[in-house]
Amino acid sequence: MARVTGDRPDGFDEVSVPGHGAASVEGTVMETLPHGLFRVVIARQRQVTAHVPSGPGRNFIRVLVGDRVRLELSARDLTRGRIVEKLG
Amino acid sequence: MIVCKSPAEIERMRAANALVADVLAALAAMTAPGVTTADLDARAESLVRDAGAEPAFKGYRGYPASLCASVNEQVVHGIPSSRALVDGDIVSLDMGVKLNGFYGDTAVTVPVGTVEPEVLRLLRVTQESLAKGIAQVRIGSRVSDIGHAIQRHVEAGGFSVVREFVGHGIGAALHEDPQIANYGEPGHGPRLAEGMVLAIEPMVNMGKPAVRVLGDGWTAVTRDGSLSAHFEHTVAVTKSGPLVLTQRSVAPAAAR
Repeated sequence: MARVTGDRPDGFDEVSVPGHGAASVEGTVMETLPHGLFRVVIARQRQVTAHVPSGPGRNFIRVLVGDRVRLELSARDLTRGRIVEKLG
Repeated sequence: MIVCKSPAEIERMRAANALVADVLAALAAMTAPGVTTADLDARAESLVRDAGAEPAFKGYRGYPASLCASVNEQVVHGIPSSRALVDGDIVSLDMGVKLNGFYGDTAVTVPVGTVEPEVLRLLRVTQESLAKGIAQVRIGSRVSDIGHAIQRHVEAGGFSVVREFVGHGIGAALHEDPQIANYGEPGHGPRLAEGMVLAIEPMVNMGKPAVRVLGDGWTAVTRDGSLSAHFEHTVAVTKSGPLVLTQRSVAPAAAR
């Protein structure tokens, strides 16, 4: 079956994006990037670039490679997310 | 993001791809005047389910059938119906299956009964263009090299390439990155790396390239009503060059 030119690959449409809000997904931190960013792998091998939200707790809870984290994905760019919670 | 498969995963992909190739060969052999596209769809689904696999298209983004059967001016994604094939028609059969967690995807355009020599030439040029595209598959070449080779061959033959639909990466999902356009300048796009698996599928119109999608949301037809052909193989990028996973052991009628 041919793909429609310019459409998104499978997997993108599986994340529910409620309104302008954010989709919440779980992932694993793979890599620490400069500028307080992290490479996080979520379901179906998708990689997103995620940041830690600003605020007083920013440097108190360290995010390390290998951590399971909960992300909120931006509705406008599903390759970007914000880490909102460290799991387990 | 392009997913590269390990040699072990490519081995696992062989099962789905060999199955879909066999199913397509069986459907091509069954194609004859009087057969309806719904008959072909029913046969396709039963062959796939008997083999313990799932039809990949059924339910995919709401697609209602197991097979895409596109007759004459239909380019791709024709929904099977009670329309009976007539002597002189051409029908593009596009089939996908999921087995062992991986997808296989392949297509062929088959003449029904006796068709005009110019139509046979359309089928031959489209099939040759697929081979030219596959020949570009090697580690280090670029995605657009494939489309460029296809477009050159098609346009040299006096036909045109559809722009609205493209080939795609394939693996644990039916449509993965990259998109593989069947046209364009060479030397652009991602470099091919070992383990990429690509569904390359030129769609070629006898007249102009423009297409439109009918009200059913799927069936694409040529705007000028000219005939259209479609051939597709799933191909893995390996150290020793392209590995066509959907090679049919029995040559379909179109190869005559």
